[in-house]
Amino acid sequence: MKRVLLLLAALAAFAPTLQASADGPPPVSKADIPVFHEEADAAGLHSVYAGGWDYFVGGGVASFDCDGSGYPSVFVAGGTNGGKLFVNVSKHGGPLKFVEKKDYLGPGAKPLTEVVGAYPLDIDGDGRMDLVVLRNHGVTLLKGGPGCTFTRANALWNFAGDPGWVTAFSATFERGQKFPTLAFGHYVDRQAPGSPYGTCEDNSLYRPGSGDAPDYSKRTALRPGWCALSMLFTDWNRSGVPALRVSNDRQYYRGGEEQLWHVDPGKPPRLYTRAEGWRHVSIFGMGIAEGEFDASGYPEYALTSMGDMKLQKLDSSEGRLGSAPVYRDVAADRGATAHIPYAGGDMKPSTGWHSEFADFNDDGLLDLFVTKGNVDAMRDFAAFDPNDLLLGQWDGKFVEAGEQAGLALDRKGRGAAVDDFNLDGKLDILVVNREANVTLFRNLGAANPGGKPLEMGNWLEMRVVQPNPNRDAVGATVAVKVGTRTMVRKIQVGGGHASGHLGWVHVGLGTSERAEIRVHWPDGEWSAPYRVFANNFVIVDRTKTQADYWYPGR
Amino acid sequence: MGFGLRARLCAAALSAGVLAASGAALAHSWDEKVFSSHVDFAAVAAKGEAAIPALIERGRQLFKAKFTEADGAGRPLATQAIVPTLRKHGRNPAFTRTSGPDSSACASCHNEPVQGGAGDFVANVFVSEGFESAEFDSIDPSFSNERHTPPVLGDGLLELLGREMTADLRAERDAAIAKAWATGKDVSADLVTKGVRFGSVVAHPDGALDVSRVEGVDPDLTVRPFSRKGVFGSIRQFTINALNVHHGMEASERFGVRWTGSHDFDGSGVPDAVTPGDVSALVAWQATTPPPIERADLPADWEAAAKAGSKAFEAIGCSSCHMKTLPLKSMVFVDPSPYETAGTLRLSDVKEPIRIDLAKQPFAKTLKRDAQGDWLIPLFSDMKRHVMVDPLVNSLGNELMAQRFVARDTFLTPRLWGVGSTAPYGHRGDFRTLDAIIKAHGGESRFARDAYLSLPEDGRQDVIAYLRSLQIPEK
Repeated sequence: MKRVLLLLAALAAFAPTLQASADGPPPVSKADIPVFHEEADAAGLHSVYAGGWDYFVGGGVASFDCDGSGYPSVFVAGGTNGGKLFVNVSKHGGPLKFVEKKDYLGPGAKPLTEVVGAYPLDIDGDGRMDLVVLRNHGVTLLKGGPGCTFTRANALWNFAGDPGWVTAFSATFERGQKFPTLAFGHYVDRQAPGSPYGTCEDNSLYRPGSGDAPDYSKRTALRPGWCALSMLFTDWNRSGVPALRVSNDRQYYRGGEEQLWHVDPGKPPRLYTRAEGWRHVSIFGMGIAEGEFDASGYPEYALTSMGDMKLQKLDSSEGRLGSAPVYRDVAADRGATAHIPYAGGDMKPSTGWHSEFADFNDDGLLDLFVTKGNVDAMRDFAAFDPNDLLLGQWDGKFVEAGEQAGLALDRKGRGAAVDDFNLDGKLDILVVNREANVTLFRNLGAANPGGKPLEMGNWLEMRVVQPNPNRDAVGATVAVKVGTRTMVRKIQVGGGHASGHLGWVHVGLGTSERAEIRVHWPDGEWSAPYRVFANNFVIVDRTKTQADYWYPGR
Repeated sequence: MGFGLRARLCAAALSAGVLAASGAALAHSWDEKVFSSHVDFAAVAAKGEAAIPALIERGRQLFKAKFTEADGAGRPLATQAIVPTLRKHGRNPAFTRTSGPDSSACASCHNEPVQGGAGDFVANVFVSEGFESAEFDSIDPSFSNERHTPPVLGDGLLELLGREMTADLRAERDAAIAKAWATGKDVSADLVTKGVRFGSVVAHPDGALDVSRVEGVDPDLTVRPFSRKGVFGSIRQFTINALNVHHGMEASERFGVRWTGSHDFDGSGVPDAVTPGDVSALVAWQATTPPPIERADLPADWEAAAKAGSKAFEAIGCSSCHMKTLPLKSMVFVDPSPYETAGTLRLSDVKEPIRIDLAKQPFAKTLKRDAQGDWLIPLFSDMKRHVMVDPLVNSLGNELMAQRFVARDTFLTPRLWGVGSTAPYGHRGDFRTLDAIIKAHGGESRFARDAYLSLPEDGRQDVIAYLRSLQIPEK
């Protein structure tokens, strides 16, 4: 597959950025630089995302607790290599260790094939995490069982599998519904005349039936589809009703753009229009990350692409903040364009895929992780294209630290899971790579030249639960206050690049020894404050006035 | 400090390998600046025991030193908050009696009857979190809690007790958690250390720990011996906070570039004003100050009354909280503490810690030991928080603001060692006499207060005589 005129288009997109950053040495992070140790092989993780053109995109991973241990296990997409489940058997603070569970679909059952990506979600509310598996020809829903086992549930939940090339997913619990609403993003219709150009498939929305069991027999087309590679239900305007953001790959659409859908309860979905403020943005959209820099309630979005990344901030210059979805790209201002590789000397444009905001050094500032990697063998784009670690600084900017952090490997990164795999309070990273084994980066602590890595800032990890429906509080906002600062995390299913995680919600606390948690529950109610001490795992249960603490069993 | 003494002491400290010649040398022997050089933590730790006397001496100097703008005093752009916090607008004046900085030296308040002692009511401070309404010019209790200055003498022993108690409580918790995971059943554990019960926890088989029945200590089970509320776990943590609140001197280990992106967060014009080594000097001096004593050379009538009062003190229940002694296993004070968190120097931040064996301090000879060889620390406290008010006796409930999650009517059992030298009494210093503060005991201590009041006048005087014998030596 060739991408014609790509270089010119990409260069035009980031030319101003290149001018702005042409001179002088790159800035150096004043914040701690976390040091990562790559240990996939030693950890027993062996999975290669492989396949032809049908697998140039995708390559996701789902991380979630499947055995009640509190440790996140992973389901990894392998493309033509199928989907593999690796159960986390790591010990607290130790090296990472996983064991593949080959019979996750039952004794003798073969693993899923043609797996593009996966997201965890407790669809039926039974307290066991289910899996939404995106595949090259449709979707397979897996119902979670005991001991990291799963059963195919498409038939059980009246789901026809959403045929097509499924490359994106997001879920939300709409008001009044017992089960989640599922949105699927599709890529190219390979059977259409002229394929692949101008042949993007429609996307899909499945609202649950009103019965006591999940029923996804009714599909609503999200038309037009513009070759979605990431989608995310997001409450962009603090309305309490999430909209659906879709990031699309301009390589194959004709006349397409980035999209934002109204998904109002009980109403048909409809696109935000120019009249409502939505502006034309056309990128090689691969992954959406949502974060909040300033706890304003109006999130920022990092959109990966080829060439420069977009960092979108709601623009308040046109009317009241939140009245219109008008976004300004602040990536250049914030030092977060990440448009060319920072190491290796290849000055061609980067290709970004998964993006995720998180606090990797526990200093209380949001960082941004982005996977990078050539589509396959595209000469006009960087061949050596390492993943980015953009560390948040106190002046609001980001500084690249991927090389010092040990992330600058020669891989073709795709999806990723940012999670604390050994429950030591430091976020680790699992990256799915095309035509190479996954990379597993264990966070060892802050770089300390000449010495062993240092402990970083204080931290907190929270599990937020409420009674059914929506026991994992998907759509909730968690506000963690220390002093005059508030760190915000959203519990979301979707975004990134074909990858998601659900479980512990991590936040760095910097020098604070204590924190106050408030939860904005999905139904709009605010919790009373939960007061907790740093460097702990806590369970915030809506039915309780005090958080329980939690400790690993190994 | 006498003419030229500062320079001589600095020279002595330098020769002992304690000070790093990182600062500008004193321009004149009469220079008002305190820091011509800073203590090098790594050098002290590497030198070991030989460096400790000079470190302690440096700490003594710093405790009474009057910091100047040239040293970095004043925090013009920052608030008094325990986590780095910038003012919303404007610059802080050099001194502000309420929200601080409110003194130029530690010893400006901690000076009765000796350096490191208590302060009179005039030396009260105003405690606020320093976040919202960080700048206040009123002593209205809706803005801050007014607090009496307690002594810091014997603090090394207190911190060691706190560390051992923390270790015990966490071990009990961890055992319950492990058992719950292993058995698949709920496991309840009483939290008891050194004869003090801190409630209980219930560990569930899914790893969750119910802390709703924990009493008198934070749910992280860290015994924090310092401040009226018991919200500081170490001398080091307290010192960093006090340097910022009271003097506007910001320690780099909390306010430095690693946590703020700036070497001069408070805009004082002096980068990294207080180094980890400087803090260690202050810690070393406070940790090695001799604890107060039970005075032995009393007049005969006082001695007789005090002897009777000692028995009455136990009989009426005072000692249920004001425990006369707590046993301490190890006298080795390791700086930094193993329980520090980010923002205070941690063991993981240093190549090796500073070790001070308090058993080698002269005061150790005055301490008794039990049959197990444990040191009996005569602090007269259980190191636990208690509710001190009830509907009928509530004069200690005069604060409006909780402090770091500790309710307004709840206080750490104050140490009574030295109580005979530290009037006035109570967290605000509202009570001029021991009799008055005893009568103010409500809540969980109400029974002992009532028992005291039921004593005949002579019996009450015996208790007072006993308490008055617990003194801070003036020499």
